[in-house]
Amino acid sequence: MSAPAGSPHPVASARIPPMFGGAATSGAVAPTDPSLAPHQQNGPAQSQMQVPSGYGLHHQNYIASSGHYSQGPGKMTSLPLDSQCDDYYSGLYAVPTQNVMPPSTANQQAGAQQIYGRGPPAPHLVGSTPGSFQGAASSASHLHTSASQPYSSFVNHYSSPATYSANSSIASQGFPSTCGHYATSAVSNAAYPSVSYPSLPAGDPYGQMFTSPNAPTVRPVKDHPFSGQNTAIGHPLPLPPPPSQQHHQQQSLSGYNTSSWSPSGLPPTNDSLTRNHTGSLSVSATNPTSTDSSSSAVPPNVHLPKSSPVVSTAVSGAPSSRMPPTAHHPVEPVTSVTQPSDLLQQKGMQYGEYVNNQASSAPTPLSSASDDEEEEEEDEEAGVDSSSTTSSASPMPNSYEALEGGSYPDVLSSSASSPAPDPAPEPDPAPVPAPATPQPSKMAKPFGYGYPALQPGYQNATTPLHSGVQPSGSVYSGFQQCPQYPGVSQLSSSLGGLSLQSSPQPESLRPVNLTQERNILPTAPVWAPVPNLNLDLKKLNCSPDSFRCTLTNIPQTQALLNKAKLPLGLLLHPFRDLTQLPVITSNTIVRCRSCRTYINPFVSFIDQRRWKCNLCYRVNDVPEEFMYNPLTRSYGEPHKRPEVQNSTVEFIASSDYMLRPPQPAVYLFVLDVSHNAVEAGYLTILCQSLLENLDKLPGDSRTRIGFVTFDSTIHFYNLQEGLSQPQMLIVSDIDDVFLPTPDSLLVNLYESKELIRDLLNALPNMFTNTRETHSALGPALQAAFKLMSPTGGRVSVFQTQLPSLGAGLLQSREDPNQRSSTKVVQHLGPATDFYKKLALDCSGQQTAVDLFLLSSQYSDLASLACMSKYSAGCIYYYPSFHCIHNPSQAEKLQKDLKRYLTRKIGFEAVMRIRCTKGLSMHTFHGNFFVRSTDLLSLANINPDAGFAVQLSIEESLTDTSLVCFQTALLYTSSKGERRIRVHTLCLPVVSSLADVYAGVDVQAAICLLANMAVDRSVSSSLSDARDALVNAVVDSLSAYGSTISNFQHSALIAPNSLKLFPLYVLALLKQKAFRTGTSTRLDDRVYAMCQIKSQPLVHLMKMIHPNLYRIDRLTDEGAIHVNDRVVPQPPLQKLSAEKLTREGAFLMDCGSVFYIWIGKGCENNFIEDVLGCPNFASIPQKMTHLPELDTLSSERTRSFITWLRDSRPLSPVLHVVKDESPAKTEFFQHLIEDRTEAAFSYYEFLLHIQQQICK
Amino acid sequence: MVLLTMIARVADGLPLAASMQEDEQSGRDLQQYQSQAKQLFRKLNEQSPTRCTLEAGAMTFHYIIEQGVCYLVLCEAAFPKKLAFAYLEDLHSEFDEQHGKKVPTVSRPYSFIEFDTFIQKTKKLYIDSRARRNLGSINTELQDVQRIMVANIEEVLQRGEALSGSAEIDTLNQKKYSSESPTFNKQHFLSYLG
Repeated sequence: MSAPAGSPHPVASARIPPMFGGAATSGAVAPTDPSLAPHQQNGPAQSQMQVPSGYGLHHQNYIASSGHYSQGPGKMTSLPLDSQCDDYYSGLYAVPTQNVMPPSTANQQAGAQQIYGRGPPAPHLVGSTPGSFQGAASSASHLHTSASQPYSSFVNHYSSPATYSANSSIASQGFPSTCGHYATSAVSNAAYPSVSYPSLPAGDPYGQMFTSPNAPTVRPVKDHPFSGQNTAIGHPLPLPPPPSQQHHQQQSLSGYNTSSWSPSGLPPTNDSLTRNHTGSLSVSATNPTSTDSSSSAVPPNVHLPKSSPVVSTAVSGAPSSRMPPTAHHPVEPVTSVTQPSDLLQQKGMQYGEYVNNQASSAPTPLSSASDDEEEEEEDEEAGVDSSSTTSSASPMPNSYEALEGGSYPDVLSSSASSPAPDPAPEPDPAPVPAPATPQPSKMAKPFGYGYPALQPGYQNATTPLHSGVQPSGSVYSGFQQCPQYPGVSQLSSSLGGLSLQSSPQPESLRPVNLTQERNILPTAPVWAPVPNLNLDLKKLNCSPDSFRCTLTNIPQTQALLNKAKLPLGLLLHPFRDLTQLPVITSNTIVRCRSCRTYINPFVSFIDQRRWKCNLCYRVNDVPEEFMYNPLTRSYGEPHKRPEVQNSTVEFIASSDYMLRPPQPAVYLFVLDVSHNAVEAGYLTILCQSLLENLDKLPGDSRTRIGFVTFDSTIHFYNLQEGLSQPQMLIVSDIDDVFLPTPDSLLVNLYESKELIRDLLNALPNMFTNTRETHSALGPALQAAFKLMSPTGGRVSVFQTQLPSLGAGLLQSREDPNQRSSTKVVQHLGPATDFYKKLALDCSGQQTAVDLFLLSSQYSDLASLACMSKYSAGCIYYYPSFHCIHNPSQAEKLQKDLKRYLTRKIGFEAVMRIRCTKGLSMHTFHGNFFVRSTDLLSLANINPDAGFAVQLSIEESLTDTSLVCFQTALLYTSSKGERRIRVHTLCLPVVSSLADVYAGVDVQAAICLLANMAVDRSVSSSLSDARDALVNAVVDSLSAYGSTISNFQHSALIAPNSLKLFPLYVLALLKQKAFRTGTSTRLDDRVYAMCQIKSQPLVHLMKMIHPNLYRIDRLTDEGAIHVNDRVVPQPPLQKLSAEKLTREGAFLMDCGSVFYIWIGKGCENNFIEDVLGCPNFASIPQKMTHLPELDTLSSERTRSFITWLRDSRPLSPVLHVVKDESPAKTEFFQHLIEDRTEAAFSYYEFLLHIQQQICK
Repeated sequence: MVLLTMIARVADGLPLAASMQEDEQSGRDLQQYQSQAKQLFRKLNEQSPTRCTLEAGAMTFHYIIEQGVCYLVLCEAAFPKKLAFAYLEDLHSEFDEQHGKKVPTVSRPYSFIEFDTFIQKTKKLYIDSRARRNLGSINTELQDVQRIMVANIEEVLQRGEALSGSAEIDTLNQKKYSSESPTFNKQHFLSYLG
């Protein structure tokens, strides 16, 4: 949304700016005195700005880096790299299809040589001609291994255009290339051994891609653009009556094809190959020299890196072998019918479409304008943009023209040639060849109808299909693919096979027709895309678990970013629990002298004695100490130091990094003991937890602890060692709170342990008969602040109601009747600034306030949460908590407390994020206080805290091919050590829109959007935020649509990388935080927002889009082994009631909660073996544990659940939900693909998006 | 009033232990003194006087050097010198017993930060005027306290060899902004570090 923000159209409205524009801040931006700022910046930021001279040089930098490898320390030359390339390709990728490999490896090496030959001498070319060939070459040369192939192939393509003309070979080669993505994933495998998805998904997505037999559904829309669509959206049962549709189908088969074919002369929908091919093809064919074309030709080059690996993986996977034949079979009848009409219509259509195309490129601005308040962001940017849009959009028309000119004949030939390629792949028959043929066409209709409404009847249709999941997938694929396949081959045939060589397309760019894609959700978990870097850098790069960017290909300019309409930002989980972390103790921590960047794997060593900063390009000296490598105990190899070999390291800081001696761990508990609190009974659980974990509290021998309780007065506890029992001191003057005794309230944990235990044992019963209903939370917090300010530390506040006395008292603001309002949701912001002010004071004294809200009634979390938000605390909320009546909440509190009390903690922390010159950060999300522009003050840091940052591109990145981001978190460990944890992430820069789309990390994007939407909800309104979310999808998809040459207005096309985007956004819209129309308590909503702001990506994604598994038929197929345990890996199911069968049992993993839904007709075997109950009826209503039964299925189920649990810090609570039990609404609300009274089904949402795009 | 206690290795000025500022108000002001103390540690060497009092405006530093370890305390100027040195001697004997042998081997700053617990307790004894009477030792052992050298901290820090890069910045900034809000100093420092 932010990126999208720069809508080129001046009319763009105010939809986005406040929220997504530069200024919004999540944490309070420190009202820093401007005069102070420069001083503060002193070291880092300022100097970063001042290094223009170095800036221009950086390319040499990169070249130097290769030079470094080749000539550097040990005359290593390029040999090692070369051999690595070879290993890499031959080892990893030489797998199955030899026929494809030989050429590619050949290319590969050629490419590699080219690189080394070319790289060093050609630096000047690079900078001067952005986007031109050399640019591509340079980037290729920089991306040593991976880029090499594309480059070489590119070269090939030009030098020997006639080389590849054989249709079949092209077909087979081109095809695998679609899989680029998976190849990459395979690479990631190498880097992260734990990743386990290479081959499986490679097959699956294909199935998905082609599963969509929904062509019919699209067609009606097309034929009746207005009626069809309108009905679709307006009515719950959107689709036209069956008969008519059938009619359409028959008719449209031809119409459809023609219309879509005509624009590019290529097949309609999922033509992943097509698009790029056409793009580059046309270019190369028509005007190989023009810069326009080259710029559009470059993209394929750049993604090629992905595609080169692709070949192999794809090949290894099923698709290449399987698809073609399937395509062939079902297709034939259809095509044969189709073609003629195609041809007839073609000419007419072409013109029509061409016009449309122009219209479509114009609409980009238009649509955003008509979308009324589209994002406008910085006006100037937008202005520049619009001009640049047109200019850079001009290649599009050009290529269209080129295309059309070139492709027209092809189309003709295509009809002829289409049969030709088919026989070739045939030898490997489709899994379900013959019987399948009729199926798709029949099934297609039920799909079309059933899908949007998810009618029960629909399930029937599905079941047979899914019984044989894979095969059916391929069947459909055939259906879809048939047009595509010939299309590609015809094209290539006509153009002498150039295109495929020059532009195989990465999997992430494969266009996906969303409305036709039945199973958009992969069956295996979605992993972070791996940035398209060379193998060396990939290995070194930061783990996506700690550091992710929404775009793994960084656009070169803000204009390009604006065009892509995607948010650019980082998602951080800087302090997460790590199993392995290099800790470095050295006298000098090597940092750039001008920007203060910590030395990292992505710097370059100019020679033995100097290194060049990768963020500001300053050349720094290598300190003497750095020449010695403590690991290898060798001298003179600075590039082998752990700092340069690991992108996540931790330094032991010197005393320069200390403002004061490292503080001890100090824990203060502020406890509500009013009648309400006592009634809820949380004290028992808390005190018990504390007693159990007292020895496990992180800290050294200085650890201090204290307790304050409050109702209408404030009670302190003197725990000074030597006392015979704890002394309670009551302060009743809540208007002017003072500490009754200066010390002995926070006492040394070890010296006063007995007294502390006494107090904890006594506390739960001390107030049992209290009649005090008031709550003086504000004054209690003031007292806490006074207690903590000398040292800093952590305050844990337990509150059970609205504070009703003294400073910070609150009134109820919620109108229960408005809970399900679809209109305005009020009171998302704080009612008073008391809590924020208090938090800022605390933050200044290195004190974080954590809030545990355990209330059965509205407690104005929106106001209370401020105490934690701005002090870098965390927030826990237990609605309708009662220790007896609500055992699951009680259990959750217990589990949360265990984690909370014993997890790692860092004190008096600051975090700074630096990025390559040209990029800048503008908005931070998370719980913290922004002390200066880019310094986050974190009184505490905990391993469960996540952060997000929005980025903008201030200066063009044209003369760099890589950008880096570095997070430095300086904190005091609980052992009194000052440490700096540094993460460095490296990403490639790209110049084409296609590459930007190829690199989208959809999960990161959605999390960033969620954060932005929270800000928007508070600063503007919930409906604005919801609109903005929808617009994010509309804008990005329409922007993408306008980049692909044969964009059809009727089809909702997304690149593969973005295919889950609409689904996730829909999930967000149905999330408690943003949903409307469903009864949602204000506190629940606000809590969800707090979580969105402070959860790390992994947890947030589960919250937004839970994982659903069927668990009554777990098998060991594909199981993984963890600690001698076999963990089954059931496939993910989409979140739809359609997937739930009464005969099954399903596990839903919502991050902090697990639901096991037991269908009514679930086999008794399962119920007996896993739940330990004889039959369905005897399953208890509130079941939160699975018994340990000695049966195979029990073992499998428990092992799976344990495995899921182990992957997260908070042990989730398990709910066994029987079908028909009242609790099932909890479960069903997460089935976000289904329609509710108040919200779209997924399919309806797609139609809505589509309609918005066409507007 | 004892405001700040620090223990450092003389050889390289590495801080070994320190006591947190207790008072919120003085805690802020102490920033400046603390960096002075750090600079002082860098200045000290084998030739430095083993007992010294340094005046710093309304405050006074006292230090002793024993076995390569410097024990430094910052008190209000009015705080009895005798008490201050007795306090330092107490710290010395305990610290030497607990950690003396490890001192030459450590490299991490504040390696013995947990000694803080002892410092705090001892400090309390010396601050509390009633408890003070029980410290018989001060009257007898430290008669020669009057002969301890007195100097001005600023002069000591200015004197001698050129300061290292980062220290120089510290000093400059400190001078430049010492008149400004102490919170600013803190901020500056943090931003410099982060």
